[in-house]
Amino acid sequence: MNNLCSDIGYVSVNKWGEQLCGDRVEIVEQGENSTVIVLADGMGSGVKANILSSLTSKIISTMMAANMKVEDCVSTIAATLPICAVRGVAYSTFTIVRIIENEEAEIIQYDNPFLILLRDGKFVEIPKTGTEIEGKMIYRSRIKLQENDFMVFTSDGAIHAGIGASLNFGWERKDIISFLEQMYDSSYTAKTFGTILLEECNHLYGGKPGDDTTVCVVKIRNRSQVNLMIGPPADRSDVNKMQSLFHSKEGKHIVCGGTTSTITAEFLHKPMVANLDYLDPEIPPTASIEGVDLVTEGVITISKVLDYAKDFLNDNETYSQWGYKRDGASLISRMLFEEATDINFFVGRAVNPAHQNPNLPITFNIKMRLVEELSECLKKMGKRIKVSYF
Amino acid sequence: MKVTICIGSSCHLKGSRQIVEQLQYLVAENNLKDQVELGGTFCMGNCVNGVNVTLDDKLYSLTPETTKDFFEKEILPRVKKA
Repeated sequence: MNNLCSDIGYVSVNKWGEQLCGDRVEIVEQGENSTVIVLADGMGSGVKANILSSLTSKIISTMMAANMKVEDCVSTIAATLPICAVRGVAYSTFTIVRIIENEEAEIIQYDNPFLILLRDGKFVEIPKTGTEIEGKMIYRSRIKLQENDFMVFTSDGAIHAGIGASLNFGWERKDIISFLEQMYDSSYTAKTFGTILLEECNHLYGGKPGDDTTVCVVKIRNRSQVNLMIGPPADRSDVNKMQSLFHSKEGKHIVCGGTTSTITAEFLHKPMVANLDYLDPEIPPTASIEGVDLVTEGVITISKVLDYAKDFLNDNETYSQWGYKRDGASLISRMLFEEATDINFFVGRAVNPAHQNPNLPITFNIKMRLVEELSECLKKMGKRIKVSYF
Repeated sequence: MKVTICIGSSCHLKGSRQIVEQLQYLVAENNLKDQVELGGTFCMGNCVNGVNVTLDDKLYSLTPETTKDFFEKEILPRVKKA
């Protein structure tokens, strides 16, 4: 058993003018440390392609997760997919990446651009063997994984980017590789790295993609724990219990909330120094306490983090803000979305009497809902979340 | 002389940022950076009367509109005395 885990992120753009995407990514977990990821690209575009790729990805991921052979998956697809009236064939290309115990990856590819492996930022060619199944050439490989492996795989929309317009022959694989090597930064999340590549494709297409384009990235990284405390306990006599549990946890520590940080400073017998720099006019400044990695205001900061989290799950447009800014909400976002794989929330249920003022938009219920919504978002990012209430 | 402004949630919503910026400006304008130390603090437990500001441990309740007045009536005379 190792300390590795995989961070999976994918993004798509639709062919210009289409409402549905003809590419589909399906992720199925097999127990705690194994996952099957399938990227399918249906023939054509629009509804038909969408149905083909949805069926393909769903069938393959379900069958693979149940440990069935690739041969069986392929023949099932061939027998199941509806046959295209125009072209007389049933067809969807696919890439399967199966992460086994976060140690090994089995890669099975059919007609999608070959997967690109970046190991510590440098491209590594993966050896593969081809087998013919039902008349289709299927390539298989099996590799050992290590920290900072980035596996990038795309639908053919990526290599066709800019064809006939900004580039004569589209964006060739070797050009994509050198682009990825240039842009590589080990701190990027899978989603962010994928977004960077997709943005470039979209740009080469001049903002009007000629084909559905999907980028999926699997990043192998070490597990890392972050602990976040917000709110004082409902019963003041629980302060010591809550604080001791919080500080005994491994990993980074974030304290949110004015009263909460005051209590923390008292508990640690260290002074709290508040900052006066308004790096973002909306977000109250941060503070610092020796022994705590980050101290911020509570409700306003966290609701901004929630906004960023929702956007991250969507099209990740606000990355350009939280990705570099130094205000409390951006700092928390980077720690939770990028650094952490396991997050422990310590939520105090005390009601702040001063906040129960009808003129203020920060009632107790809002605080509880914020934490719930945020942990939902983080779960969708693939993080393991534990919430303890006091 | 130490002036501490509450930057907790409640006071933040009531305008502590504007107060901080005004005070920072007024202090710089009057060349008082060596004599007046501006600081922030989280919740002082008196949110109802916010924005809370302490001047050498005495508690004041300010709004962005009364800040200039506070500077002229409370801070300036003390600086002159000292």
